[in-house]
Amino acid sequence: MFALADCNNFFVSCERVFRPELNGRPVIVLSNNDGCAIARSNEAKALGIKMGAPMFKIRDIVQQHRVEVFSGNMALYGDMSRRVRWTLEEFVPFIEVYSIDEAFMDLRGLDIADYDAFAKEVSARCWRNVAIPVSVGVSHTKTLAKIAASLCKKYPKLRGGCFMAREQDIEKVLRRYPVGDVWGIGRRSVAKLMDMGVQTAWDFTRLGEGLVHRVFGLSGLRTWRELRGESCIELDDSGEGRQSICVSRSFSREITDCVELSEQVATFAAKAVEKLRAQHSACVEMVVFASTNRFRDDEPQTSLSRAVLFDVATADHRRIISSAVGAMRDIFRSGYGYKKAGVVITKLIPESGVIHSLFEDGQARQRDTKLSAALDSIKRDFGRDAVRFASQGSGEIISSHERQSPHYTTLWSDLPKVSVK
Amino acid sequence: MEKFQPYAIGDEQTAEFSLCGDVKAGFPSPAEDIGEKLDLVKLLVRHRASTFFFRVSGVSMVEADMDEGDILIVDRSIEPYNNCKAICFIDGEYTVKRVEIHEQEIRLMPANESIKKYKPIIITPDNTLVIWGVVTYIIKRA
Repeated sequence: MFALADCNNFFVSCERVFRPELNGRPVIVLSNNDGCAIARSNEAKALGIKMGAPMFKIRDIVQQHRVEVFSGNMALYGDMSRRVRWTLEEFVPFIEVYSIDEAFMDLRGLDIADYDAFAKEVSARCWRNVAIPVSVGVSHTKTLAKIAASLCKKYPKLRGGCFMAREQDIEKVLRRYPVGDVWGIGRRSVAKLMDMGVQTAWDFTRLGEGLVHRVFGLSGLRTWRELRGESCIELDDSGEGRQSICVSRSFSREITDCVELSEQVATFAAKAVEKLRAQHSACVEMVVFASTNRFRDDEPQTSLSRAVLFDVATADHRRIISSAVGAMRDIFRSGYGYKKAGVVITKLIPESGVIHSLFEDGQARQRDTKLSAALDSIKRDFGRDAVRFASQGSGEIISSHERQSPHYTTLWSDLPKVSVK
Repeated sequence: MEKFQPYAIGDEQTAEFSLCGDVKAGFPSPAEDIGEKLDLVKLLVRHRASTFFFRVSGVSMVEADMDEGDILIVDRSIEPYNNCKAICFIDGEYTVKRVEIHEQEIRLMPANESIKKYKPIIITPDNTLVIWGVVTYIIKRA
């Protein structure tokens, strides 16, 4: 058996932990990048606010229904996610953190008498420990567990836990489950499936194995088998690093100056290096980009991007930051107002796998390695903003955090306040 | 095994000597034998998933052992027990109350008993969510 623990409307739920009065009220969280709704409370969903809706399109609804709006507070969400993970690890030895708000649990070989009670207990413990509502689905395969978890969201009566394993129950659920909502079925597959008259997950399981393999490939076949109760997607607890790292932001105003934009890019690159180093990887290829405000039809539009290849993979602060800045200066075009920019490390390898070049200056490399290590330890001991490169300017990102909640759990100065009465 | 490389005194590399760990220089440090160190976090945070910090704000209240600026360590996983201090969410703000558990009901008593205007609050099974977490430690400046 597998379980999926899925935090309900996670970012909104995090905001509610320290603002319990927001329970029952419409709440949305906006993306850093586009000012789009990236998390919605059930009440906000009921008002018709769609996932990804840009703020300027929903302003009226927000005002009329006094929707509470937050800018994303990733420090808070990351900390709460960690706490949920720790709670899940109290139950099972192996979990796979699938995303910031989802984790699979491996229940094989565990002595669990009542899976339904187990699922409800996991959910209750998450609420008690962290005050985050979590849906826990249990079934024979990861794909089915995900469907079971989605039922918890639909039916509050399940009290956060759903065990779905009897053949007739699975059939009943799959018959009403849109095939496009199944984990692993992409948008392109859905179009093909619709042409084939396949509407529900159940319809999909009724297709022939050979046909599924031919049309949807190996991954489609895996999903097909998983829906039929045959587990073939293993739990990945290797904790392997991410395959790409992206740091990008929308600015609170348009940037027209090359130096100012380069400083922003330097800061993004510095953050990307931090993430890269934290997972002991080295950068092979990086893309630097900037674009104008696509919502302003009255202004000239452009988007810039440039890939940077490193002949020797590197995790060196100076090399990566200066390359990013150099690339931005090269591609910068004046006469435009840039609203968004970013740095994406598109190809990375484990640090241990770096092959050094014969023609490299070994001493210089050692010196750089020491400098980077020193920077890491300064950042660790004195805070990540304790040192920065001159190319970063003030090091501050020109973005709007006006609506960001305090960093309740990660900054001493932001602890929630309590009075004694 | 690697060859032993003597370091010349005055050589710039001597600065990198580590006094403990794998490079042995002179007498082994007695500090190496101390396996367990006193870890305040381990003492104060028994349950990392459910432990949160709050800051006391408002006038200082001697009777409640809590002063402005104190940090309260709060563990949500602890079941409220009789006479425990708890962070409660009442009328849109967090307040520390003393919890009295009676057979029929739970009462939130003013943690600051010198102020008479705060009346006990009685909680019923329907509004148990008022209690946010139990205070386990108070950190204050001496």
